[in-house]
Amino acid sequence: MATPGGPRPGNFPPNYSTNTLANNMQNLQINQQQSNNPRGDAPRPPHAAPPGQQPQPFGGNRPRAPPPGVFPRGPVPTNGASQTTLPWNPASTLTSPSSVFQPPPSFIMRTPPPVALASSAGGPVPPPPGAAPLTGPGTRPQPFISAPLTSVPPVLPQMSTSGPSNNGPTAFSSWPSQGGPHFPPAMAGTPQPPAGPPQLPTLMTSGPSAQPLQMRPYFRSPAGASPVTGQPAPPFSAPTQSMHQPSGSPHGMQAWPPQPGQVAPHPPVPGPMQQQRMYGMLPAPPPLPNQSMSLSHTGQSKIDPNQIPRPIRSSSVIIHETRQGNQSSPPPPATSDYIVKDTGNCSPRHMRCTINQIPCTVDVLSTSSMQLALLVQPLALPHPSEEPIQVVDFGENGPVRCSRCKGYINPFMKFIDQGRRFICNLCGFTDETPSDYHCNLGPDGRRRDADERPELCRGTVEFVATKEYMVREPMPAVFFFLIDVSMSAIQTGATAAACSAINQVIDDLPEGPRTMVGIATFDSSIHFYNLKRALQQPLMLIVPDVQDVYTPLQSDIIVHLSECRQHLELLLESIPTMFQNNRTTDSAFGAAIKAAFLAMKSSGGKLLVFQSVLSSIGIGSLSAREAEGRSNKTAGEKEAQKLLQPVDKTLKTMAIEFAEYQVCVDLFITTQTYVDIASISVVTRTTGGQVYYYYPFSALSDPAKLYNDLRWNVTRPQGFEAVMRVRCSQGIQVQEYFGNFCKRIPTDVDLPAIDCNKTIMVTLKHDDKLQEGSECAFQCALLYTTVYGQRRIRVSTLSLPCTTMLSNLFRSADLDTQFACVLKQVASEIPSAPLTQVREQATNVCINILHSYRKFCATASSSGQLILPEALKLLPLYTLALLKSIGLRADGRVDDRSFWINYVSPLSTPLAIPLVYPRMITIHDLDEKDLDDSPIPSPVPLSSEDISDEGIYLLENGEDCLIYVGNSASPDILQQLFGISSIEEIPNQYVLQQYDNPLSKKLNDVVNEIRRQRCSYLRLKLCRKGDPSGMMFFSYMVEDKTPSGLSYVEFLVHIHRQIQSKMA
Amino acid sequence: MAAPELVQTDPEGIEGIRMTWNNWPRTKVEASKCVIPIAASIQPIRPHVDLHVLPYIPLRCKSCSSVLNPFCRVDFTALLWICPFCFQRNHFPQHYNSISQTNLPAELYPNFSSIEYAIPNYPQNPQNYNSVPVVPPTPIYLFVIDTCVIEEELDFAKSALKRAIGMLPDNAMVGFISYGTQVQLHELGFLEMSKVYVFRGSKELSKDQVLEQLGLSSTGGRRAGTGVQKPGGQLSPTAGSVNTGINRFLLPASECEYTLNSLLDELGTDQWPVAPGNRALRCTGVALSVAAGLLGASTVGTGARIIALVGGPCTEGPGAIGSKDLSDPVRSHKDLDKDAAPFFKKSVHFYEELGKQLVSQGHVLDVFASALDQVGIAEMKVAIERTGGLVVLAESFGHSVFKDSFKHIFEDGEQSLGLSFNGTLEINCSKEIKIQGILGPCTSLEKKGPAVANTAIGQGNTTAWKMCGLDRNTCLTVFFDVSSSEKSDPSGTNPQLYIQFLTSYQSSDGQTRLRVTTVTRRWVDSAVGTEDLVQGFDQEAAAVVMARLVSYKMEMEEAFDATRWLDRNLIRLCSKFGDYRKDDPTSFTLNPSFSLFPQFMFNLRRSQFVQVFNNSPDETAYFRILLNREIISNATVMIQPSLISYSFNSLPAPALLDVSSIAADRILLLDSYFSVVIFHGMTIAQWRNMGYQNQPEHQAFAHLLQAPHDDAQLIVRDRFPVPRLVVCDQHGSQARFLLAKLNPSATYSNVHEMAAGSDVIFTDDVSLQVFIDHLQRLAVQAS
Repeated sequence: MATPGGPRPGNFPPNYSTNTLANNMQNLQINQQQSNNPRGDAPRPPHAAPPGQQPQPFGGNRPRAPPPGVFPRGPVPTNGASQTTLPWNPASTLTSPSSVFQPPPSFIMRTPPPVALASSAGGPVPPPPGAAPLTGPGTRPQPFISAPLTSVPPVLPQMSTSGPSNNGPTAFSSWPSQGGPHFPPAMAGTPQPPAGPPQLPTLMTSGPSAQPLQMRPYFRSPAGASPVTGQPAPPFSAPTQSMHQPSGSPHGMQAWPPQPGQVAPHPPVPGPMQQQRMYGMLPAPPPLPNQSMSLSHTGQSKIDPNQIPRPIRSSSVIIHETRQGNQSSPPPPATSDYIVKDTGNCSPRHMRCTINQIPCTVDVLSTSSMQLALLVQPLALPHPSEEPIQVVDFGENGPVRCSRCKGYINPFMKFIDQGRRFICNLCGFTDETPSDYHCNLGPDGRRRDADERPELCRGTVEFVATKEYMVREPMPAVFFFLIDVSMSAIQTGATAAACSAINQVIDDLPEGPRTMVGIATFDSSIHFYNLKRALQQPLMLIVPDVQDVYTPLQSDIIVHLSECRQHLELLLESIPTMFQNNRTTDSAFGAAIKAAFLAMKSSGGKLLVFQSVLSSIGIGSLSAREAEGRSNKTAGEKEAQKLLQPVDKTLKTMAIEFAEYQVCVDLFITTQTYVDIASISVVTRTTGGQVYYYYPFSALSDPAKLYNDLRWNVTRPQGFEAVMRVRCSQGIQVQEYFGNFCKRIPTDVDLPAIDCNKTIMVTLKHDDKLQEGSECAFQCALLYTTVYGQRRIRVSTLSLPCTTMLSNLFRSADLDTQFACVLKQVASEIPSAPLTQVREQATNVCINILHSYRKFCATASSSGQLILPEALKLLPLYTLALLKSIGLRADGRVDDRSFWINYVSPLSTPLAIPLVYPRMITIHDLDEKDLDDSPIPSPVPLSSEDISDEGIYLLENGEDCLIYVGNSASPDILQQLFGISSIEEIPNQYVLQQYDNPLSKKLNDVVNEIRRQRCSYLRLKLCRKGDPSGMMFFSYMVEDKTPSGLSYVEFLVHIHRQIQSKMA
Repeated sequence: MAAPELVQTDPEGIEGIRMTWNNWPRTKVEASKCVIPIAASIQPIRPHVDLHVLPYIPLRCKSCSSVLNPFCRVDFTALLWICPFCFQRNHFPQHYNSISQTNLPAELYPNFSSIEYAIPNYPQNPQNYNSVPVVPPTPIYLFVIDTCVIEEELDFAKSALKRAIGMLPDNAMVGFISYGTQVQLHELGFLEMSKVYVFRGSKELSKDQVLEQLGLSSTGGRRAGTGVQKPGGQLSPTAGSVNTGINRFLLPASECEYTLNSLLDELGTDQWPVAPGNRALRCTGVALSVAAGLLGASTVGTGARIIALVGGPCTEGPGAIGSKDLSDPVRSHKDLDKDAAPFFKKSVHFYEELGKQLVSQGHVLDVFASALDQVGIAEMKVAIERTGGLVVLAESFGHSVFKDSFKHIFEDGEQSLGLSFNGTLEINCSKEIKIQGILGPCTSLEKKGPAVANTAIGQGNTTAWKMCGLDRNTCLTVFFDVSSSEKSDPSGTNPQLYIQFLTSYQSSDGQTRLRVTTVTRRWVDSAVGTEDLVQGFDQEAAAVVMARLVSYKMEMEEAFDATRWLDRNLIRLCSKFGDYRKDDPTSFTLNPSFSLFPQFMFNLRRSQFVQVFNNSPDETAYFRILLNREIISNATVMIQPSLISYSFNSLPAPALLDVSSIAADRILLLDSYFSVVIFHGMTIAQWRNMGYQNQPEHQAFAHLLQAPHDDAQLIVRDRFPVPRLVVCDQHGSQARFLLAKLNPSATYSNVHEMAAGSDVIFTDDVSLQVFIDHLQRLAVQAS
């Protein structure tokens, strides 16, 4: 480069090659089609198309293209600006058949005040027993409810038919008029628990008016009618859902919907009107726009479960310019589909802040109860349409940096004094401009060359690192495969699957002379293989001492791929047969990784371990403590979370050493037993790796996923021997880093490997006040080595405005990021605190934020309303889902929970949401839908009420994909989709196949699209009712009431009550 | 004609025994006055044309369990025999009924004082052979090869190994270990690919650990079934053993020859990096313990040899002899003397333990060391010697000293060394005789008995010894003492003393043999006169015994002054047995039985055994191991080389071992056991360089040139280890091999006296003449 700092536009990171990436998820082993990509990658520009960056199905509640009239204030930016109230009477808003969820961004939930209860004692509606309460709220049709509804002749047909579709608008629209009246009788039959009373006051007193008397009858009458004492559930839970909790909170909720007729004061109003009205009610104009949701019980309405906030998918791709008019623009939701134009701030894919305005003081922040944190994903995959990151070579001197804080040159460094000096935007120090970097300033005060130099106009650039940034030559790309060949691994087919996966993946390893591979197998001893070409056949080298391991050769264990390809292939083919009679049940896992590490020590690299059984001998051996915990019940319960902690420090110590020598461990656990993930995952967490978990391993359905996971693992954009640091403007400092890495000094994190999927959470704290009106910058610098051996520094800078206004904070809150942070923090707490405490903590985060908002930004609204800030309106739903997630359930297997905790640790924001709130779609009607831009139909709420017996549903959370087949599903569709004629034939182990019919093709398209979006092949499983698989499926119905958890509506009420009690 | 050494009749005879004194003084006091200790050099399994092999079990005395022999008194009528050692009367068993004066069993023939029994089931070792008839176990050869050498050396070693494997009998079991910084044990029975167990070189491993890690542990069993079992694994000749697992590592030569050859083809030099200025990390110690551990899983009683090819010093792990830093030289004698060899004691202790383990398993350690540096023979000596192992020290694996020696051990037939296993030597002797111990390749079995002397020399405190490995030439020196309380015994009654040597061993073909050698000697009352003693003196044997004893003392006693001790003993001997007038040196004469002895002592004083500082500790250890295990005549050559002169004017003739023997027109052939030197006089060398030998008219010259080579070949061929053959010319640099051995009668101080064409030796050493002069003076003046 002649000119230092000259941009090298053509020189973007080589990893982002369209084809390779696109192929990654395309080349599915099964059902693969070249043109399978439903998105039609063809028109894509070069550098892109990695899976996973497609629009998220849940577009959030900020509708991009609101239908006219829905939003009261059209011009207001959708995100957070609109305040809408949920119409208590849902039907009206939904009359528009245009799209399922789009328009109703807000609603009001009204809880009936106690007064109402009392007054409605002699309610007009005689409640006939036997009706399911849910039918009421469920404007969604309830196919399950059979018995009680029979008494409602006109409605039923409609309900049941439209049921499976999803929140079908048609069903709703007809509901209020026709179904409404019928419900009361239905409801009445349910012995609504008297448990309510003690709770009721708190819940309802807040009601400003006494209108919602209509509630009364329902509660009262059932109570009176039924002999049930205080116990809620039975009658209500008509089909599958038992919404009941003794708390009584549901009362109000239950009551609302079925009572349309009684909502005297407020007749059903269309959405827009409602919104306007609510808007008007809210105080203080500036903050008001921010709040969009309120849950109130202003008499006339009740919560319509159909209208409470749910994620909504935005239908179109958003174009996001990171800065507009020299102002930071708030990023689109992480889960949406967007294209970034880097105009100064880095892409939100690389760095997102929980709040897009920075509170000037710690007081403002703490008042908001929100957390200030960054989610950093330095190598995140770009959208295919985005410009590649530019590489800047400053020549021998290296990139220009602040001499005090060592911050890298970025667009926010202010050049003064004719460009001779510049002021660091991070530490405020004034530096001399290096003479060869000098440039005059233009009339606008900017350097004249600012627009030509990427480092002065782009939020993310990559600098070529000089010798100064190297302690040694950039390391080669080393991949070391370690395969379990113990008896159980062989017999379950895990070894064969691993060998086959590796064999197929060899060709996908980075090309070039810098790629090196090694392989070893282990059971009770460790077997290395010398793959050197000169040898006639591979040489097996056994390390029998598993207490004190060593590497059996100095060189030749890890060899250049080009030199050993044939040997490697041969070896991988022969390993399963070579060990087929192995009778060794023991596994020296700890010793094996240590030995492999020793072999890799000189270079560093990736250690990919395929493990099948619990490590039982040698260093780092473990015991089946899960079983011990079970047998010793009392002790087990007292310290249940102990099982989620590593059993001792051995592996941790090892892992730190691994990290020191730049060895990253990825674990592929293909097991059918307990392997103590809690203990072994320490290795992956510390070394920047991750755990893949195939439980229970199936030789039929899992190899394809194993292969694809492995393939993505080695082909995705990634870097080695990385060091990352985040710098902040004065006044803010980094508090802590969370993620998969090793931290030896407080300021930096060491990442033996980092890839595009890995995200690091960085919590921030104030150490000083910030100036109102100024901007606060965050700069993440990642020094790493590419797979091709170039040393690079990727620098992402994000500059955000500072504010003292609490309302601004709420308006600019980033829900996805905030929730991802909560998720990560909760996950990290699970092993160290009792479960109840963690759950409470998670709930409190939600309550505190909403309370703060309620208290300081919505003071004028009635206390009977649950006011949700628009930006955070899904927080309760996500929180509820979190409480019901595997990690926070006490009933799960220890390993499952450990895996969940580990999965969360490096999880990116776009994937954090579906993990907790999975996406569910219907697939039996795929071919009936006309989907313009996405093959994936709109999601269905995660509620059993939306599950029809005739339907077939696909639910995915980025890792697992469950296909639920209703018991009455059409045999024809079954035949088309699965090639089976009846539901009885549903196989335990499912492999997706493509049959020659449009439906099957669409299913494959959908699955492939999801795979691409999630960068994951997904573990597919067929589920059916009355089967453990069905139980598993329904455990994802987070909106349902479960024995240990509230329904969504109940939860909202619970939250509301908590807020009210705090307000009091 | 030829030198006395060459034409010697067979002094050992069928018995294979030579004693310093063939007539024994009767009392302890007398014995000590004889200066030279009473000792017998025995060659337990010496082949002999007259040796008979009897296919039945020997008769044993029921009291002292000595074996029936020609010296037993037999009562043919009563069918009784009286043991000459304990005088126990024993009945002949039934099948000896037909015995009579004229129908004697072979073991009673007087000329069969040595006889051998071939027995399938030798009751002496009941623990080895239980009631089940056993197929003779085939010997195991476990090769251990050092790969920390340069490519060229490794190639030499590999080709030597390949040749060796080809020469092994088909049923011999073979195992293979290579090592460098780590130890690699090759699993030869794994067919899918080459499979190697790797052990770290820095960690000491017990036998149990080795077995457990190899999945051969009989206890524990956690690894039972480790590894891949060969379907339908065949039964090896070690059938009947439980440890079939060992078959993974040891296979019959016929089965694994191909595998081994391809394995050797692929075997490269050690790949672990060697830091600049450092020695290669070489873990000889661990390699040998792994080998020993592996063999520990073999059937008890199976003969096995660990054949180690060592290419340099052990620097890693147990048994290390020096530091990794090249700037620290490997220990020298000086370091050992000054206790400045920090590794030495630890290393020796390690090998002692290893030796014990091997002895308990009955296995042999052979070391073939080929390096310019020392490899640690001094430390390993204990393990090699205790197990009766072979040792060869050479400069290179490409050198004939190694190549031919290595080949020799696998040779069959005439040349065969007759390598045998699991030998046990027991000695029965007359009551008056006590056994002090044995110097030589064996281990004491600590079998106590009345014949055990109070003081021990070498492997003592026992009447039985284990010889894990022995061969035709194996020779042991037994030191006897005479019981002091024997005075009471009426001398007239029993003028003869009897000693019986019982050697049981497993011959190279797997048969179990028992060699019984019974000898008798005469008691003499030296108080009466020394005549009988003098007649019974074997000065060669005496010289060798003195050499062995002085070497032993040098090793065992701190600050031992060997030269002084030898001088004093020689003076005492001459004083006692010489004829002289007191204080008149000129009157001194010695009986012919003693006449050579002073010269032997002169040469011994100058030899590598006493003047150790010219050699490295490894060489010294090597020389001593061979000194201790070679027969008397060979050992004599080590002490005093033989010299033959070839010239036009005369037939080849022994020449004086003196610098004066050098002449310009002579060729000299020196045999100093470890090296054979052909030395051309200056004129001869010039002629040869001018090529006269190629001209037909100078055929005589060609013959003259060829003759010493032919004779040298004769020497080289029969000897193990093969000596180093040096061909040199007068004034050439290699001539030092000759000059060092010659009596320096001509040095720079008296050069003018010498004839032209002769040579001088630049030394301050005294010449033989001066030595004898002093001896005479001191002998006559003493007490």
